This record gives sequence, structure tokens and C-alpha cells, in this order.
Amino acid sequence: MSKLSKIVDNIDWRVITIVFFIIFIGLLCLYSATNVLSLIIFWKQVIWVGLGVFVMLVAFIIDYRTLMRMAWPIYVITIILLVLVLCIGNEIAGARRWFSIGTLGFQPSEVAKGMVIILIAFYGAKKKHIDGYGLRDLLLPFVVLLVPTLLILAQPDLGTAGIIVLIAICMFFVIGIKKSAFVTTLFIMIGLLPVAWLSLKDYQQARILSFLDPNRDPLGTGYHAIQSKIAVGSGGLLGKGFLHGTQTQLMFLPEHHTDFIFSVVAEEWGFIGSAVVISLYLLLITRIVSVGIKAKDRFGAILCFGIAIYFTLHVFMNIAMAIGLAPVVGVPLPFISYGGSFMLVNMACIGIVLSVSWRRFFS
Amino acid sequence: MKASISRLPLEIEFKKKGIILLAIIILLFSALVLRLMYMQVLQGSHYEGLSKDNRIRILSIKAPRGKILDRDGIVLADNRPAYNLIVIPKDISDLNVVSSRVSEILEIDHQEVEKKIKAGLGRPFEPVCVGRDISFDQVAKVEAEIFSLPGVSIEAATERDYVYKDLACHALGYLGEISKKELRLHKGGDYAACDLIGKNGIELECESILRGKKGKRVIQVDASGRKQKVLDEVYPVPGKDTRLTIDKDLQATAKNALGDKVGAIVAIVPATGDVLAMVSRPGFDPNMFLSPIAPEMWDQIIHNPLHPLENRALRGQYPPGSLFKIIVALDGLSKGAITPEEKVFCPGYFSLGKRKFKCWKTSGHGEVDFVKAIRESCDVYFYTLGKLLGIDELSTYALNLGLGKPTGIGLPEEVSGLIPTKAWKVARFNKPWQGGETLITAIGQGFVLVTPLQVAKVMSAVVNGGHIYTPKILVSQSSTLEGEIDISEDHLSIIREALREVVEGPHGTGRGIRDPMFSIGGKTGTAQVARGFTSKLHDESDIPYKYRDHAWFFGFSPVKNSEILVVAVVEHGGHGGSIAAPIVMDVIKKYFFLKGAMNEQIVKDSR
Repeated sequence: MSKLSKIVDNIDWRVITIVFFIIFIGLLCLYSATNVLSLIIFWKQVIWVGLGVFVMLVAFIIDYRTLMRMAWPIYVITIILLVLVLCIGNEIAGARRWFSIGTLGFQPSEVAKGMVIILIAFYGAKKKHIDGYGLRDLLLPFVVLLVPTLLILAQPDLGTAGIIVLIAICMFFVIGIKKSAFVTTLFIMIGLLPVAWLSLKDYQQARILSFLDPNRDPLGTGYHAIQSKIAVGSGGLLGKGFLHGTQTQLMFLPEHHTDFIFSVVAEEWGFIGSAVVISLYLLLITRIVSVGIKAKDRFGAILCFGIAIYFTLHVFMNIAMAIGLAPVVGVPLPFISYGGSFMLVNMACIGIVLSVSWRRFFS
Repeated sequence: MKASISRLPLEIEFKKKGIILLAIIILLFSALVLRLMYMQVLQGSHYEGLSKDNRIRILSIKAPRGKILDRDGIVLADNRPAYNLIVIPKDISDLNVVSSRVSEILEIDHQEVEKKIKAGLGRPFEPVCVGRDISFDQVAKVEAEIFSLPGVSIEAATERDYVYKDLACHALGYLGEISKKELRLHKGGDYAACDLIGKNGIELECESILRGKKGKRVIQVDASGRKQKVLDEVYPVPGKDTRLTIDKDLQATAKNALGDKVGAIVAIVPATGDVLAMVSRPGFDPNMFLSPIAPEMWDQIIHNPLHPLENRALRGQYPPGSLFKIIVALDGLSKGAITPEEKVFCPGYFSLGKRKFKCWKTSGHGEVDFVKAIRESCDVYFYTLGKLLGIDELSTYALNLGLGKPTGIGLPEEVSGLIPTKAWKVARFNKPWQGGETLITAIGQGFVLVTPLQVAKVMSAVVNGGHIYTPKILVSQSSTLEGEIDISEDHLSIIREALREVVEGPHGTGRGIRDPMFSIGGKTGTAQVARGFTSKLHDESDIPYKYRDHAWFFGFSPVKNSEILVVAVVEHGGHGGSIAAPIVMDVIKKYFFLKGAMNEQIVKDSR
């Protein structure tokens, strides 16, 4: 047995296979969603997948433990990018979320999601408590994470900010917090709900209201929700067939290449196709969690759990939104939705998981 | 190399946490799968229906309306190509911009346009017709700006064209936009808002035949309403053409003969009941109602004291005057109340109790027999006859002839006229019938009222040998024989001869139209409107217009085997003999000229 074959054997090929299978399905859906207008988006996504593979390799090769040293620098760089995007970012439909580099866009808030995982894993690895964190232990992470969250809310991007908050909460649950701290946080959050509601922009309030009752404004804010449900439901058991989804091909469903891509899957491939896609995600996430369980250090384990939570939240929120179980907030579907920064961050996460998985075999 | 002792607690701690985490994740994903199963498998067909509704639109295709032709096939109401400006509410980006620009181009009120579009917002994919039949200039302006006016487009359509404008306007009727009330009435039928519907005349009466059946086009559209492909198409069934018994040229002559006078003319074929001409003046141009009519113009029509929309031929109710004497004569002969030879002395008046009823000729007619009575229209002769018969007999006889009820020609809103009876008088005025009222009824005054079409119907029977035909205006209808006049053949021919004497005899009231080239019979009538103002006693120009007498004349030719009978009434025209008779003569002459029986030169020379 040469050393090379040992290195290759210890790579988690299952994770890679599942990811590429999902990416393949994603490209098919993207083709179906956009071929009516032009294939530019499709080819751009192919390029992003290529870049993503490169990023994944880099993340795999670098020892994930270097990320512990890099946690604060990554934090600072992310904050700078978030401030910059508010000042010089491209304004699209009243929101500043992107830098444009040529024809490609770059979204710092996607990077912020990855940064949060690394930062919390770093904190959890360093500061250990047998019986979980108390309120005092949570104060520092709270303040630190409040800054990027507020900056993202200012763009405004409710979906991403929400995802970041949820990732943080879930990760701290996994790391462990005291019962008293849990109860107090819960009460504070419930108390903050009215404040949060009032600070939402009108259109954000309208979206949540039309989630509760989509027929409130069927041609306005409820339009997405209704059209998406029609697309999903009309797919039936077997679907209308590749390129034959009427909702998709006739463009009744806006944003179907980004946030509503799942309804393309559901309409054209039916319940069978939807179930296959969800199963693939479940397989991937299970694999990531098991990598975490077997990780050789605390940082690696929390990192993997964080990444699993990150994928779970995206998949769940995105599909729930498409089938009317959650309000319409912009949460993309990993490896399937169109979006460069998102694809790169996802691939980096996979690279980190591979790195954690591979390095448990070596000291 | 793998496991070291220091990592053991870590592995145990994270294994537990990892399993809990996975359990929660599986739970969440199961919720998604269950919901998908419910939506896609259980409710799939429901959503399938919704998705079809989304992409399938049914557009209706209007059927071309049937043409209306005259008896020779000349087109009176045609269809011509036109352009409509339509708006699809769903595709409008800015209602204010679109409605203000459209109103500028069409030169109509901004509010009006906005109101129409807003009314269509409930069914946002259905086109709203904002400008019907717009001009080429307007089409060009819209087409030039079509890209800055999303939702606006030009639709090719057909529009009704009443080729000869106000000629035969009352018989044809007119089309107008369907009202809410009519829409309710035709609920479940083939009608939609903005559709045109027959509002009067033949257009209303033959609506179901002329209209045809709408077709439909089932199309698949994308989210912005653009047509992707046609899924199904059902062609419209065009409306059937309808041929009228009206002769366009005769109608034109009749219209011109009446000119600016207010009144009506009916020309009829006595042997069949075919109406050859039906004129009512003043008239209107039916083309005017096709596009939404300006309120002030509508006001002008509605409040015109002469009521141009009314078809006087079947809605004008006038006292028949001396025309009614023929009815009394028929009744008298048939009941044997009088013989043709019996004479009555006319001193110029008739005494009933203390009252004296004047003859129009105050100096008196002297000895009067049947023929002279009709020829010179002696009032005293008919006072006498009327008194002999009595009102009950007279009214029953008149009602049996078909007076006092609509003729049944099959045009909308025909009125009945009035034949008074004793019972009617009591019911109407709560007063008993007076003997004097019988006398004035006998000379066609008092309560009795007839329409020109009723006169044409009854007089046709008098000249055709006693057969009462229902007047008809559609070629497709067959003649309906309603009944026979209760009178002998001999007596009828005596009356016909008397009617010839009116024109051809000495002192005939219609002698002014005598023409050696024609065999003509007829009867004059001068219906008194206001007591004391009759033109039989005064110089016409001294009497205010509204108190002047109505002038009647009916004429027929030839006297034996009559081919045409014409009735004319001129409101407040004065003498029947001098005013109405020449009008009737014009129409009769034109009839024979058209028939080829004589050339126009002779017609002109003979005047």
C-alpha cells in the first residue's frame, strides 16, 4: 500500500458523490428554469461549479485547524466586506447585497454564514463547560454576532439574517447551554418579537402576512406563494416531465432559478423526484454529522455539526417556503439554486467536512 | 494511531449530540415529505386544475352579424371593417399614464377611460373595449406609441353600417351597447359586456337570427398573458341575412315625399300584406348609436318634442277623421241599416236633442246618396248612419276588422289605438256614454284612435275583396289571413267605386290628384285636434301649429285588383286632400315606374 493510495482511500468519497449528484440535478433544473429566456445563467452556474470544485479542494488541503487561528481575521474581513457592500454595493430593487465583478456578482452575506459557523466552533472548542454555557458565557458571542446580523438586516436581507441567527442558536444548543440560560433567552426573544415586527419594512411585514393568508393579495405579495404551491401540487406523483412544467416554462413563477427552484423540481419530477432530492440531502447531512461524531477534536466536531445545521436550515426553509409551510423569505437551496457566492461557500463547507473526515486518520 | 484515550469522552459526548441532531433533522425532513405527499399525491388534481386555469384562456370570437336586405337584395344594414382600442387590465403598468394618454388620443374623458379599465380589473385577463370604431388617424397614433403603452392594443373588428343612414331607420331599428338590464335578461346566453345588441326595429325583433353564434379560441398563455399557442378553436356561426319586404327605392321616394313634414307613410301590397315602405318623420341616423353616444346628444334626441325615435307608422295614434266613415259605411251596408240608393238630406247640420252637429260644409250637401256621401265626405250622412247603428254595433264591427289592437306586424312596441265602447267610457271616466259621442265617433273624431299601419291593414282588406291580412315586413314570413270582412262582394265593389269617385268624381275631396294615366281610389281625412280650430272653418295659417288638423289620405291603384295601397298622415298638416293626397300620389307613381309599367318621363310629365 503506497501512501498515495492511503490518502485517496481515506477521502470521504460518499460525500463527494452525493454532492455531485445534487449538483447535477441542480443544473438540470436550472436549465429547465431558464432555457426559455437564455442559457447565460445556466453557463454561469457551470462556471461557478468549476470554481466551487477548486475552492473545495483548497479547503480540503488546508488543515481545518488553521481556521482556529484564522477565525478572528475572517470575522474582521467579513465585517469590512459587509460595511463596504452597504456603501459601494450594487443597488438592485432597493437592496444593496452584491459587489459586481464583471458580470459575476459576489454576496458578502453568504460568506458571513460560513464565518459564523467557524467563529462559534472556535468559541465552543476553546471554552468548555461540562454543564453547558450560562448567560454570561453567551454574552460575548451575542455581541460579536450582533454586528454582522445588523449589517445584513441593513441591506436589507431578512432571509440571510434570519438564517445566521438560527445557525447560531442551533449551534449553541448542540454545544450545550444551561437550562436557566435557555429559559431566560427564550423569554427575552419572545419579548423582542413585537419590537422585531415593528422594525420590519412594510414589504417584509406584507410577506409574512401573506404567508398566513396567501389570498390576501394574490397578485402582489401572495403571488409567489400561490404560484409556487400550484407548481408543486400540479406536479403530482410523477411530474410533468423535464422541460414540460407549465408553471415554469410559461414563467408564472418568478425567481424560479433562485429561491423557488424547488418548485421546478417538484413540478417536473413530481413527488418521486422531490422525495429523491430530499433523501439525497438527508444522506449528505447524515454523513456530515457522522463525520462530526468521529472527528478527532472538539473544533472539527462542532464545525461539522455547524455545517450540517447550515445545510439543514437552508434545505428545510427553502422547501418549506416553496410548499407554503414558511413565509417567502429569500433562502436558497444548496447546490441547486443559482448563485455564485452561495455555491462557493457551500463547496468550501464540503471541503472543510472532507478535511475533518480525512485528518482524523492522521495526527 | 486512531483512537486515543483522551478523545474518548469527546466521542461519547458528540455521539449523543449528533444522534439527537440527526433525529431532529429527520423529523423536519419527514414533515416536508409528508406535506409534499399531501400536496402532490392527494391534492394533485386540484392543483393541476389551478395550473390549467393559470395558463389557459378562452377568448370569444364574435360572429359577423347578418345583413338586413331590402326585398330585391339591396343591403340596408351592412358590416364594415373597423378598429377597436382594447386594454388588458393585467398588463397595464401604470393605470394613470395609460388612461390619460388613451383619453388624449381618443379625445374622450380621462375619468371615463379609467372607469372602464377599473371595471375590468376583476377579470384582469379579459380585454376591455375602451374605444370602439376609432379612426385611422387614431389607430396610427396608438400603433406609434404601442411600446410605451403596455396592455393597450388595436383589435380588428366589424362594425354595423346603415348604408342609407336615416332611410328606413325605424323599420331597421338600431344597435347599441348591451345594458346591465339586458345582460341580466340574457343571462346564460351568448352575451358579454360591451357587446352590441339590437335595440329596436328589426335589429331587436330578429336579434337571435341576425346575431349568429360566437366562436371561441382556447389559447395557452404565459405569465404576462402573451399567447403561446392555440389549443382549440371553435369557429363562430355567422348570423343569417334577413330580407325585408321594404323596397329601398320606394322607401326613399316616400321619405322624400314627406320631406320635413312630421308624419308617417305606409305602403302595402293589399293582396299579401307585404309592407313596401314604412316611413316616420322626423327620423335619425342609426349609425349614431354604435359608438357610445355623447350625453348631450342623447338628451337632444330624448327631449326632442317631435320624438324622432318613435316609429309613427305603428306608434303614432291619431283620430282617423273621415277615414273612419268607410268603417261606418261597411257596417251600415253589411247590417242593412242603409242601402246604396237611400238618400239622406244634409242641411249643413244634424240635430240631436238641443245640440246641433255641423257638417264640414256648413251650407249643406242637399240630397246625399251612399256614393256622394263618401265622395264628398258628408258628415250629416254618417251622423245619421252612426245614430242608426249605435256605438255598440259600431265598435264591435271596428274591433272585428282588427282596429283597437296591434296589427301583429312583428316589430317592437306596436300600440293598439283605441275603439271606444260604452264599458270603456265608464271604466275610463266613470261617466255614461253620451249620444253625441256616437255621432262624432262616426266621423272618426272623439275618442277613436288609429295608427297608420292599422289603416293600411284594414283598407287593404276593403280593396282586396275583404281578406284581412296581417301586415308583414319579412320576406321569409308567409301571408297570414286573419279573417274576412263581414260584408257581401257587391257592397265591397260599391265602396270601391265610391272611393274611386273621391279622386275621379265631381266634387271629390281627393280630386286634386286626379291623373288620367292612373286608376286611383282613396279617401281623405282631416282629423280635428282641437275643437274650434278646425281648418275646415278657418284659414290654416291663422291657427297655431299644435292646434292644426292632422291630414290623412289613403290611396290605392289600380282600383280593381289593386297592387299597392298607400297611407299617409301629416301631423298638423291641415287638409287631407291638399296635403296628404299628393304625398300618396308620389309613392303610387314611383311604384309603377319601378315596376317598369311606365318610364320616368311620363311620371314627371303627368305632374
